[in-house]
Amino acid sequence: MNQVPPPFDPELAAALEVIKDMISPGLTMDEIDLMRQGPGIEMLARLDLTAEGFFEVEERVVPGPENAPEISLLVCRPAAQATGGPRPVIYHVHGGGMILGDNRVGVDVPLAWAKELDAVVVSVEYRLAPEHPHPAPIEDVYAGLVWTAEHAGELGADPERIVIAGASAGGGLSAALALLTRDRKGPRPIGQVLMCPMLDDRNETPSSHQMAGLGVWDRTANETGWTALLGDSRGGPDVSPYAAPARAEDLTGLPPAFLDVGSAETFRDEVVAYASRIWQAGGVAELHVWPGGFHGFDGFAPQAALSQAARSAQLTWLRRLIGS
Amino acid sequence: MSHHVRMKELAGRLTALDPDAGAAVQVISYFDRLADTRAGLEALVRGAAVLAGCPARLVDAGRRVRVRVEPDGTRRDAEGPPDADWPCAALEPGGVPALWLERTGSEPSVVDAVILERAAGAIRLVLDRTRGRAPSSPADDPALVEALLDVTTPEPARLHAARGLGIDTADPAVRVRALAPSDGRPRVLPAGAELPAGRLGVGPAVAVLDLPGSLAAARTALRFTAEGTAQDPGPRVVHADELGGIALLADLVAPGAEPPPDVRAVEAAAAAVPGMLATLHAVAATASQRAAAAEINVHHSTLQDRLTQAEHLLGWPLRTPQGRLRLQLALTMRHLARP
Repeated sequence: MNQVPPPFDPELAAALEVIKDMISPGLTMDEIDLMRQGPGIEMLARLDLTAEGFFEVEERVVPGPENAPEISLLVCRPAAQATGGPRPVIYHVHGGGMILGDNRVGVDVPLAWAKELDAVVVSVEYRLAPEHPHPAPIEDVYAGLVWTAEHAGELGADPERIVIAGASAGGGLSAALALLTRDRKGPRPIGQVLMCPMLDDRNETPSSHQMAGLGVWDRTANETGWTALLGDSRGGPDVSPYAAPARAEDLTGLPPAFLDVGSAETFRDEVVAYASRIWQAGGVAELHVWPGGFHGFDGFAPQAALSQAARSAQLTWLRRLIGS
Repeated sequence: MSHHVRMKELAGRLTALDPDAGAAVQVISYFDRLADTRAGLEALVRGAAVLAGCPARLVDAGRRVRVRVEPDGTRRDAEGPPDADWPCAALEPGGVPALWLERTGSEPSVVDAVILERAAGAIRLVLDRTRGRAPSSPADDPALVEALLDVTTPEPARLHAARGLGIDTADPAVRVRALAPSDGRPRVLPAGAELPAGRLGVGPAVAVLDLPGSLAAARTALRFTAEGTAQDPGPRVVHADELGGIALLADLVAPGAEPPPDVRAVEAAAAAVPGMLATLHAVAATASQRAAAAEINVHHSTLQDRLTQAEHLLGWPLRTPQGRLRLQLALTMRHLARP
């Protein structure tokens, strides 16, 4: 197999040069604790959650899954009086490879959408692997969605217009959530935004080999994340689709999906394959493959031209979906 | 994001660098990497804006380049002139400022200086690669120049042509001039710019919409020029606004018409004696006979002999103020009468 990787976009390559001391491509199980203490992706947490007073911010503690601890939801509502009835909801699932982060990581992205779309953002805190392996994370995420749908009225929100969204592990968990709520006949989101989602525990695609040692979150880090979540069963025959959505046999009956990914990252091929399988199942999906993008490029280097294009495509899709 | 946010709070995301955090090394690697990957102008200006945490702007009028980027990475070009207080850099050593960081009210930091230096260097490489060296004039597009200089072109179209040539039409203080070269098309130059080489009539510095008048004056001035050789002595460059009342002669002597008698007398003297034309020009163009002798590199007594001979051939004195004026007029009309 040709192992020559696609080149990084020039601006993104330069940005990577500046952040490389904080973000390295690989991550082993031994390094998880160190990574949690360091700056790392925690720094993707937005500093001002109110966006200069646009949002009212509160933390709700709500029931978790059966026989499990309560979970925390970060709720950001536009402070202004709603003019057009209940608002749509962006239900956000943070990233961090299943092992890192909290419900503030990456929340600036849905907050920016919500500001444009006059929506409520709910960002769920879930238990992290390896201390809490599958199904703890997805069950927490599901419990948060159920509460949000049942209590939408309290938030001035419309339970019939919930969009689920996440990046990286949060994208994988969002895809899993769409499958799980379909199968349990739970709340029915109207769309799923899967940004560079982490979908496949097998870690054997051409892109996962091509990008070894490069960019952000290479195959070593990916193996670490999935092993933390699944233990020895990672890559084996018995992995649940609610852990790794790429394992799902049935992709029918899902809400419309928006997927994006960089061409120069580990997840490229699994994301392209997932979008193709949604179409093959008769579903609705929009796929963007951004040339030269590394994993999470639009979060790490939001000013770059490619990042601006990616963010703009996300918002455009949401506008069409929500119809504002 | 604020310029003052500390680096450790930003780790993991590319944004404004803390000036105290020893960020110069990161600036250098950022621009080196952009240069390695042959990034374009906008990416370089964006890099300056993002790393500095304030808008950055690139203006190279000579190459018609104008790029302005906000610190959040969005392109937002501006019309107004740069502020004299902004930190800035030239693209060439000793050149005019071309890249600005739009930061006021604080002393430029070391990081600002490094950003400007590295970005300007990378920008120069891109411009040399993609647009060639800066031309000596901003005005080298014949169609635009023609539209700009034609009084029958509607004013909005002339202003549009001016902007196409890199002239800032928003600033009413901007002055430009037309040039009429002896060989080639008319040109347009900023008022302060260095003149090109060659034989040239230079129009007065005017507002953009008055350029057709500047060109008419430049063309008149061109008629007063000469090759500057022994056969055709005289100035190679004539400025219209230095002619004064002498310019009126241009209307009296039509090109190619039968020359006035004094001009015919000069021609006859020039034909009769080698070096006579240079002698007459030296006497007309210098302040004293000693200076005239030095100009044509002869001894003072030799000059006296030649003047006596010339007065005989021409039929009028050359050592009186009136005679010198008559000679100056004859030499000038000789240029004007050329076809």
